[in-house]
Amino acid sequence: MSIERANATESDGSSGANEPAEPSESRAATDASDLDAKDLVLSYPTAPEPVIDGESIAAEPGAVTALVGPNGSGKSTLLKGLANQIDPEDGSVLLDGSDVHSMDTKALAKRLGLLSQESTSPDSITVEDLVYHGRYPHRGFFERTTAEDAKAVERAIDLAGCGHLRDREVGSLSGGQKQLAWIAMVLAQDTDVLLLDEPTTFLDLHHQMEVMEIIETLRDESEVTVVVVLHDIEQAARLADRVIALTDGEVRARGPPEAVVTEELLSEVFRVDADVVQTEDGPRVTPIRARHEK
Amino acid sequence: MTGERPATDGGSVTGDEGRAVGGESAARRPAEGGRLGWLFEPRLLTVAAGSLVLVVAAGLVQVSFGAYSMTVRQAWRAVLDPAVLLDPRWFLNFLLGEELMRAVTGFRGELPELARETLVVWNIRLPRVLVGVVVGTNLAVSGAIFQAVTRNELASPFILGVSSGAGLMILLTLVVFGGLSAFLPLIAALGGSVAFLIVYAIAWKNGTSPVRLVLAGVIVGTVFTSLQTGLFFFADDIGVVQSAIQWTTGSLTGTDWEQVRMALPWTLVAVALSLAGSRQLNLLLLGEQTAKSLGMSIERVRFALSGVAVLAAAASIAVAGIVSFVGLIVPHVVRNLVGSDYKRVIVGCLFVGPALMVGADVGARLGMSVLTGADSQVPVGIVTGLVGGPYFLYLMRRQQNMGDL
Repeated sequence: MSIERANATESDGSSGANEPAEPSESRAATDASDLDAKDLVLSYPTAPEPVIDGESIAAEPGAVTALVGPNGSGKSTLLKGLANQIDPEDGSVLLDGSDVHSMDTKALAKRLGLLSQESTSPDSITVEDLVYHGRYPHRGFFERTTAEDAKAVERAIDLAGCGHLRDREVGSLSGGQKQLAWIAMVLAQDTDVLLLDEPTTFLDLHHQMEVMEIIETLRDESEVTVVVVLHDIEQAARLADRVIALTDGEVRARGPPEAVVTEELLSEVFRVDADVVQTEDGPRVTPIRARHEK
Repeated sequence: MTGERPATDGGSVTGDEGRAVGGESAARRPAEGGRLGWLFEPRLLTVAAGSLVLVVAAGLVQVSFGAYSMTVRQAWRAVLDPAVLLDPRWFLNFLLGEELMRAVTGFRGELPELARETLVVWNIRLPRVLVGVVVGTNLAVSGAIFQAVTRNELASPFILGVSSGAGLMILLTLVVFGGLSAFLPLIAALGGSVAFLIVYAIAWKNGTSPVRLVLAGVIVGTVFTSLQTGLFFFADDIGVVQSAIQWTTGSLTGTDWEQVRMALPWTLVAVALSLAGSRQLNLLLLGEQTAKSLGMSIERVRFALSGVAVLAAAASIAVAGIVSFVGLIVPHVVRNLVGSDYKRVIVGCLFVGPALMVGADVGARLGMSVLTGADSQVPVGIVTGLVGGPYFLYLMRRQQNMGDL
């Protein structure tokens, strides 16, 4: 499977270079998009206190930024705020300098994609049709699919490694296969920035690895700026170029994984005693026990 | 079949090709059976053909039987009478009305004589079948849209208060403002729209949600229905009450070409708009969050599509009153038969809606005389209710979780 994907991205790269549509100088000179949140205050209408109270974070352009933290620490809320799914009470989110909140919704969706934690679809839709929905922001009201749409969909399906599923109905897939299909959909959106909300949670080990490999490919072979919420701190350490740790809606630490994923941080943020060993693949975490003191 | 989905017979193969030559696979999908390739899908074709057969059979029964009896052969001949079909003057006379026909054709003289059977069929019986077709189409499309917009398969113009709003206005007109009854259809549409606006306003709280829309619809529906019942006490004439009941249960009795002319243009508009909006409907089915993150302005799209659904419902209520269950059941049946792709669902509704409506009207018009020998008709809404209730019960028993789409 992984070999297949490696092939896929290889040829993807080459076909990308031959493409007249994508001028190669722009590729060489591109600065991947950056996404900056400044003094963001996010709250839900039902809760009295803001979940995120004036935090600033920056996603590193072209790299993978992981948001980690315990349950209820506000990582998903922060991600939704970045994606303009929640209107900020204060502060702003800037995508390459322009405020996402004042951008046209379709224009924003062409540049910023979000994969939500739980996605629902009719059972009888095929994977391919689902992936085609990712092209929505690129199409006008009456426009039909173009060759460019088809190409983007092919690329997305290849990259997500779900070509063998393309004619299956989504309702007949396992949880992991579904997730691959949804990832293909958000990849077909062809955005500069990709926000993923716990893409590996609830998946079996194989599909967790599949998803991680997709993100790695994006990091290594494209200019896409990725922000991913992860539950598993070790996964975050392995995958991300930068890690941002949150507790109670506050950023506790940020920086490269080796600097953030430490025994002190685990005890402070996750309230566990753990051994952290630095290895070639990044820090390896062995949790020992939960801390009970307040 | 083969022309329609070349992709299917080599899913894995095309995948490999796609990887080898990135560009070649690009043209695959648009070429797939051309622009209307999705129409020629065996399940959809079967549903359309089956429904057509039903409509034609039921229609034939309707034109053959009645106070003036004729054989099926005679009825056929009357329906296909070349004196009407091949004479644009007569044909337009029926379809557009006499004035418009004269304006279009510039014809001033007397229309040629028609055979007695032809007159009976074309003047009295055929328009009723056509009104049934139009009403069935509208209700089915309206229900299909409402179900996608609210993402709730229990939604229908009835549930969302549109019908009760229209019904209340009709009763008010009949009982209180008798002089305005010429504008009944317009008033019905107005009532339906106002009711839906109230529902939307009640449901609105930083945007709407499917559940809140349905609950608000039930609230508004309950209040309006009580008001309707209350109005009966102010009616001083039993005839008015009877006519009011006919409106609120839905009936095709006495419908004529005038009703066809009135509803048809709105139907065409509503159908065209719903087909154009089918991609938006499909996206709404993926859930609010996904639709939003794909750049859809959810509230605007929801409101516009609801407007189309109200239009369709009002067009049917204006000519036939409140026919229950059709808007709820037809989209259901169609979805079970052709899948959830809304392009196909809407097209399926265009066929199954009329089939149910025209079929039910056979029961409404001729059922009583077959069962009891009495020469009386019941409102078609009673038949659709009697058919629809048990079907829904069956669905409820069979499916584990109903409601969410």
